[in-house]
Amino acid sequence: MAAYRAEDDYDYLFKVVLIGDSGVGKSNLLSRFTRNEFNLESKSTIGVEFATRSIHVDDKIVKAQIWDTAGQERYRAITSAYYRGAVGALLVYDVTRHVTFENIERWLKELRDHTDSSIVIMLVANKADLRHLRAVSTEDAKAFAERENLFFMETSALESLNVENAFSEVLTQVYHVVCRKALDVGGDPTALPKGQTIDIGKDDVSEVKKVGCCSA
Amino acid sequence: MEKKKIDEDDSGPSSPKLVDRFGFIKPESSSSPDQLKRSKSTSGSEREERRVRKWRKMIGVGGSDWKHYVKRKPLVVKRRIRKGIPDCLRGLVWQLISGSRDLLLMNPGVYEQLVIYETSASELDIIRDISRTFPSHVFFQQRHGPGQRSLYNVLKAYSVYDRDVGYVQGMGFIAGLLLLYMSEEDAFWLLVALLKGAVHAPMEGLYLSGLPLVQQYLFQFDLLVKEYLPKLGDHFSQELINPSMYASQWFITVFSYSFPFHLALRIWDVFLYEGVKVVFRVGLALLKSCQDDLTKLPFESLIHALKNFPEEVMDPDTLLPLAYSIKISKRLEELKLEYEKVHGKEGQSIITRGKQKQLLERNGSSRHSKRFEKQKGESIQSPEFVKKIQSPEAVLLQKLSLRRHFSHRKAEYDKLDGSVTQSGQELQRRDSQLMSRHATS
Repeated sequence: MAAYRAEDDYDYLFKVVLIGDSGVGKSNLLSRFTRNEFNLESKSTIGVEFATRSIHVDDKIVKAQIWDTAGQERYRAITSAYYRGAVGALLVYDVTRHVTFENIERWLKELRDHTDSSIVIMLVANKADLRHLRAVSTEDAKAFAERENLFFMETSALESLNVENAFSEVLTQVYHVVCRKALDVGGDPTALPKGQTIDIGKDDVSEVKKVGCCSA
Repeated sequence: MEKKKIDEDDSGPSSPKLVDRFGFIKPESSSSPDQLKRSKSTSGSEREERRVRKWRKMIGVGGSDWKHYVKRKPLVVKRRIRKGIPDCLRGLVWQLISGSRDLLLMNPGVYEQLVIYETSASELDIIRDISRTFPSHVFFQQRHGPGQRSLYNVLKAYSVYDRDVGYVQGMGFIAGLLLLYMSEEDAFWLLVALLKGAVHAPMEGLYLSGLPLVQQYLFQFDLLVKEYLPKLGDHFSQELINPSMYASQWFITVFSYSFPFHLALRIWDVFLYEGVKVVFRVGLALLKSCQDDLTKLPFESLIHALKNFPEEVMDPDTLLPLAYSIKISKRLEELKLEYEKVHGKEGQSIITRGKQKQLLERNGSSRHSKRFEKQKGESIQSPEFVKKIQSPEAVLLQKLSLRRHFSHRKAEYDKLDGSVTQSGQELQRRDSQLMSRHATS
């Protein structure tokens, strides 16, 4: 699935943010998804980084524009500007560090304060390969995700476990939200003029480039 | 630039890794000629020797003539610094320019005290970043090696010394850069000089909560781009590009995060003497050099290009003269006032240098001192204050207990480190491989 396509060949463009405490593996999740790379010697992220990848959803090409943010509290003044207009978010914690799971609540609040209510959020339990060091149980995380109405997935950027699934799921769900919204707005999604920005969070980045049938 | 992909890395122990003259491991497929070697012709090295002799004369034995010379001929000093401080004198000269030497001499034993006796709320954060700071440099690559240990000590000591700032990601790259040119203790005091001031404080306020100064710099830079490079500025506006997408690292680490090291060093030479203005100038010079290409690129390629400038553009001998030709002092000041007019009402986030200094002095000695008052009956904060706490006996006593504490702290460090390390065994395996390669190379 998910073939790499020419840069501008897409039907939908969605802005997605990667957030969570420092050192939970956000940058490696991004590089695994966009370049299929994992870097043991990666530097800590200063400010924001950016990458893209397109995947197929139904018969459409959905392009994800993903912003990877510095995790340290001090950087939120800069990074929170990037939440604006995001239609999807991966909220990442490290299964071996309970405190990163505890902080999810604060990240979630921050995210909801800055984004549209229709944003699709995936709770991501990264470093699942470190089984012997696990400090957060799947049950606890699942219960939290259900309570907060989040999607949930356990991943390992190192072993390439579920990374593809986590991003694809977010993009697919966003796609469905967009289609539903288009239907709500005009009744007929094909009626939207080409290139019109879909209003999902007063976005300045995410857009629909070519609106076709959306019969999901 | 320095990435290694383990997926595709052969990890073969047979091929020894090559390092450049600064100790960074060269990417395997590095076909680009070594800029520095290329410029090192015979006449070049003679010129270099003459330069070193001039510098030695200028600074005097152990730096004894420096202050006098700077006072007498500030412009000569400025000109020589802009040409680049000779690498063999760089560590010493940086300490002289910044005034950190004086801080060190005024405060014997204080650094050890901070490293050994104090605990910091940032310890775990620091440890987590240690192996993520210059991971491709031989000095910092070895787990628990002297490089990582010094880096940890300096950052931890600073986070204790300045609890308002603590530890902020990005500091590691600065401390790391300093540690390649001086001892732990020297690096610590230079960090203090940068952030709290000795001669001047070119980074004061940069890492405070909310990163107020970074925000101000980004605002100023945005407008400077629009004014000095209007065509590119228009293109950026059209593509919704703003400096926080590419330039925050420039300001937060003064180009030490991802730029070629020989360029970063030359920028640091000037930064220490002339302050943050050089960061703006180099930033503008980079954009100017690539203006024609950049204006053709759409959003995504543009962001990529702004984080990966072509090697020929980053040659210090062409980039820096271009940077100095861009005059921005007056505009920079005006834009600062403009920023303060707009954002000033948010209150504490805008702290001018003078106010900040007062704040540090006031807050500092109250907040910090509480901890120390309990233990020592004296407080420790500003350099003036710090220097009082050590009597010769106290220093001796501390030194005696140093070893014990160090071994204790080492165990603690190892424990913490183990708990935050992923795939530790893998890393160790790679380390030992690399170390053996260096040993053979």
